[in-house]
Amino acid sequence: MRSRQKELLELLGKSGADLYALLTRLTLREDVAEELMQELFIKLNNSRGAGNVANLNAYARRSAINLAFDWRRSQKRTIPALGQAGEPASNDDSPLGKLIHSEELQETLDAVGKLKKSSREVLVMRYLQQESYDNIAEQLGKTSHQVRALCSRAIHHLRDVLGSNEHKSSKKEIHNVANR
Amino acid sequence: MSQIDENQIHDRLKRLSQVEPSKEAIDRAVKRARDALIADEGCRVGLAPPSFIGRLTKLAAAAVLMIGAGYIAGRVSAPKPLNVQELQAALESSMKSSLVPAIRQELISQMDDRWQSTLAASNAKVKDELARQVRRDLTEFAAQTLAASGTRTDQRLNELIQLIEAARIQDRQRMASAFDYIESRFGNGLVTLAARTDELLGTERTGLAPDVSEN
Repeated sequence: MRSRQKELLELLGKSGADLYALLTRLTLREDVAEELMQELFIKLNNSRGAGNVANLNAYARRSAINLAFDWRRSQKRTIPALGQAGEPASNDDSPLGKLIHSEELQETLDAVGKLKKSSREVLVMRYLQQESYDNIAEQLGKTSHQVRALCSRAIHHLRDVLGSNEHKSSKKEIHNVANR
Repeated sequence: MSQIDENQIHDRLKRLSQVEPSKEAIDRAVKRARDALIADEGCRVGLAPPSFIGRLTKLAAAAVLMIGAGYIAGRVSAPKPLNVQELQAALESSMKSSLVPAIRQELISQMDDRWQSTLAASNAKVKDELARQVRRDLTEFAAQTLAASGTRTDQRLNELIQLIEAARIQDRQRMASAFDYIESRFGNGLVTLAARTDELLGTERTGLAPDVSEN
């Protein structure tokens, strides 16, 4: 058995659950996350670059993020955007409330996918994985201060992207209403 | 443009961070990834490339085989030694048959070129001479035409002057005859009229006043 495979099996035992959770958060589908998890480890096993990395866990995490967003980009979502509800639904347990929440999460992830790679990674690590700035800085080879700045910029960009999406969809809705 | 609130973004991100797969799903995914990893490694081992020495041996064997095949093919397909005299004769006839027409053609073409260049030079001379002759003739013709036209114009002017003079003489004669006629018809009458008028005027000067007083 090669040393790479040993490392990967160790990584799978240690961080497999985290990686799977990350993939589930980014795809919002357990079956897809399972597929991507398998693909991730096969890729890591065959990747020549993975052998040279110092922190295999961080490398795997970044690869997982990229894989998930690649999958999102390849998916043409056919679900029509619901009205951009500014306020949360009255009852979160209702089917409509769940649908709206799910749609909001999909929209947010799509917007995150539109960010630059570095911003996207930092945002996912910080806000989805709830990692500390120091930990992220260590994984990315940056200072904590730089990571904070990147996070702030990423949130700002995300807000812009979501704002423009909302503007577009509200315009479309007005147009649809006018056509009726 | 309605901007989404930053708190809403944080809220959504927080909700995303709270998405957790089930324990069974995690176990299943980890197991599947482990199986895939092991199977991938098995395929890799099964398809492992041969060692360096094995590959070198195979290459050497292939090279020996290729060299042997090439040598045998060369020996089999090599032509017999040639007779030099036959070769010379064949070369001579071949060269003759190929070179003579070519040389002839070359000579003909060179002669043609020379003739053409000579003719072109003489042609140019003839052209110049002809042009000069034509220019000379044209100049002479123009001079003659100018002289002839000048003489002709003088003649016409003289004729015109003569005609005008004759017409003036004729007019004068007519005027003279007209005056003669008038004189012959009214000459005595005019004299009588003048005399009578003179008399009348004299009479008026002398006797006009007493006639007025008598009346």
